[in-house]
Amino acid sequence: MFWRFVLAAVKFRRRRLLLAFLGLAVAATLATTLFSVYSDIDRKMHREFRAYGANLVIAPSGNARSVPLTAVAEADRLGVVSAPFVYTVVAIGNERVVVAGIDFKRAQPLIAHWRTSGAHTAGQGECLAGIAVAQHFHLRLGDRVPLDSGRCTLRGVITTGGEEDNRLIVPFDRAAGEAGFSNAASMIEVRADAERIEDTREALQRAIPQADVRVLHAIAETEANVVLKVRTAVFLLMALILAITTICVTGNFSALVLERSREIGILKAIGAPEARIATLMLSESMILALASAIIGYAIGLVVSYGIGQKIFAGAAGVNFAVFLPVTAVTVFVAAVATLASASRIWRIEPAQILRGE
Amino acid sequence: MTIGAVALGSAVATAMLGAMLDVGDRVNRELRSLGANLLVIPKSGSLPVEIGGIRYRPAAKDEFIPEALVPKLKSIFWQLNITALSPSLRAQTVLDGREIPVEGVWFLRDMRLPGGASSIQTGMRALNSAWKIEGRWVEDPKPNDGARECVLGAALAKRTGAAPGSGVILFGEPFTVAGILSTGGEQEDRALVRIEVLQRLTHRIGQVDAIEVGALTKPEDAFALKNPRQMTPVEYDRWYCTPYITSIAHQIEEALPMAIARPVRRVADTEGQVLNRVRSLMLLVALAALATAALTVWSVTAATVLDRRYEIAIMQATGAGNWLVAALFGAEVALEGATGGLIGASAGVQLSGWVSQTVFGIRAEASPLLAPMVISIAVLVALAGAAQPLRRALSLDPALTLREGA
Repeated sequence: MFWRFVLAAVKFRRRRLLLAFLGLAVAATLATTLFSVYSDIDRKMHREFRAYGANLVIAPSGNARSVPLTAVAEADRLGVVSAPFVYTVVAIGNERVVVAGIDFKRAQPLIAHWRTSGAHTAGQGECLAGIAVAQHFHLRLGDRVPLDSGRCTLRGVITTGGEEDNRLIVPFDRAAGEAGFSNAASMIEVRADAERIEDTREALQRAIPQADVRVLHAIAETEANVVLKVRTAVFLLMALILAITTICVTGNFSALVLERSREIGILKAIGAPEARIATLMLSESMILALASAIIGYAIGLVVSYGIGQKIFAGAAGVNFAVFLPVTAVTVFVAAVATLASASRIWRIEPAQILRGE
Repeated sequence: MTIGAVALGSAVATAMLGAMLDVGDRVNRELRSLGANLLVIPKSGSLPVEIGGIRYRPAAKDEFIPEALVPKLKSIFWQLNITALSPSLRAQTVLDGREIPVEGVWFLRDMRLPGGASSIQTGMRALNSAWKIEGRWVEDPKPNDGARECVLGAALAKRTGAAPGSGVILFGEPFTVAGILSTGGEQEDRALVRIEVLQRLTHRIGQVDAIEVGALTKPEDAFALKNPRQMTPVEYDRWYCTPYITSIAHQIEEALPMAIARPVRRVADTEGQVLNRVRSLMLLVALAALATAALTVWSVTAATVLDRRYEIAIMQATGAGNWLVAALFGAEVALEGATGGLIGASAGVQLSGWVSQTVFGIRAEASPLLAPMVISIAVLVALAGAAQPLRRALSLDPALTLREGA
């Protein structure tokens, strides 16, 4: 009898229920999308800061001129990106130029901001030139650069706005040889996880006590600060959106009860206890809420996948784990909305309602 | 009921749109703590041979930017976007038997703007807000402040055993260490003094080697990557009047003909990427909010019309034409929409101000266009919500509706 009532309500009041259902489904879709985006926002924002390159440097300490290459192995062990750099001055005829040696394979993630024409890396016997070097010596791609220590073929010209513009860039081993370094570098750049940057610094410092491991404050602080603020902003806005959705859905569900005063009157007149009528209404809402949560969740996943592709290119923004919170929120909202208006059930006087007042 | 719902909807819509526009700008400002995104250096015939601030070939004597021209940077078209600038002079000296770079800088001082009585506070500290000092900075607002003081980089201080308050000899003259600077970068191996002090010690009065500039920019898009020399006049004007890093650099070069301005790619590109992501994220959240707001308004108006189908039937029964009824309801809904929209928009402005205050500590100024826009959208959505149920009610036979209601 109980379930016949519930099912009949769904069958005969399709229009009204559809409105309530739509409202709730949209709420669930929004909740899924927003939860998905929010749960992943830190990782995605940190990704954007990678363009900056290193956030830790290992520099020679005290009177030392170099850093041992064991630091690179240590960084590998900690699972962070690192690359050694070596700087030395080399003669070209009667001029001099700073040569930077770079381990291109390792350094790739750290030099992503380089603008290059030609190649981004140089192999054996090849080199890249900073834009100022290229202009000064009138170098073109493919030219043989007459370094006194042996010629190299120019493979690319780079522009960074930094000191690299004034340098000639060769593979690490060649520059290390010219600088007279064996198993050492002028400095080592490290890109650590922003959240664990201080731990990484301490671990590296412990492993290489003879060097100086420093956090680059500009990037570390800015990154932490911006990620926190963006997250807070999104959180506040998300809370606002969910609040208004709740109010909208509450309105719809209250209407479901209010409209049915006449039915409630009849039920009361034939002797149904108020609590039972309230349970009836609540079950109806719960069925509706579950159905819309599932549909909204499905749509929300598709939407957040699309967003993942569009906004955070490549990284899919789908997070299946949000199903529970979404269902919880949806069911909770529906229950609150129904219960809020259910108090009317107790106040309805069957005689008055049925007389048509 | 309708007014309330419309008000609620437009409040959220206004707050979101306001926040969306605001958060991007705020994040752009927060990103300025990355440091300079433009480097202005003298046009040079020679190539600097320099590692870690130590020059291996002395700089040519005639290559410098006159310090008197520094304020000209604040006279370019995008002057308001230049948030900080920090001129510096470089030299080197021997400390504890080792060559060290010394930099003469503006720490933080008032710079008088060209052609006006107003001035702004700028310098190295304004540009690099993330740097940390132990002890204190050298004060330099007045010509004779901090003349015998310096700031040492942390690595240099560690090597020489200097601490805040101790003394060092630079260029044969005694200096007091005001503070120890940690940045993580090359500055940790340097000594910093007031620029006038270094100019006097190196006999380079009024000269500057580089100006670091922090500017608020628009992330580079496909258009920004075009070569300005190949643009049509219209495109060139558009490029010139957009705060791309390259157009600001171009304008600086126009203002200082003896200098070149280079975008610092590491900083500029990071800013661009982060800003683009934040903007699209905010757009997404704003769209979600607009969808919710529209849904609320739409469903409430629809429900109201649905509830009033008896009224409609009575009007029809007493001879009102469909158009008259529709006009009557339309006017009513539009009025309610406008009222609700007005209340909501003003509440929304407060709301977005609150979000901005909470997150960034600064109240946002709402765009004056926002409120009228939201109100008209509110009216349109309310009308759209009313349209379908109204059409349905009008198409029904009034007699049937009235009997059902009896």
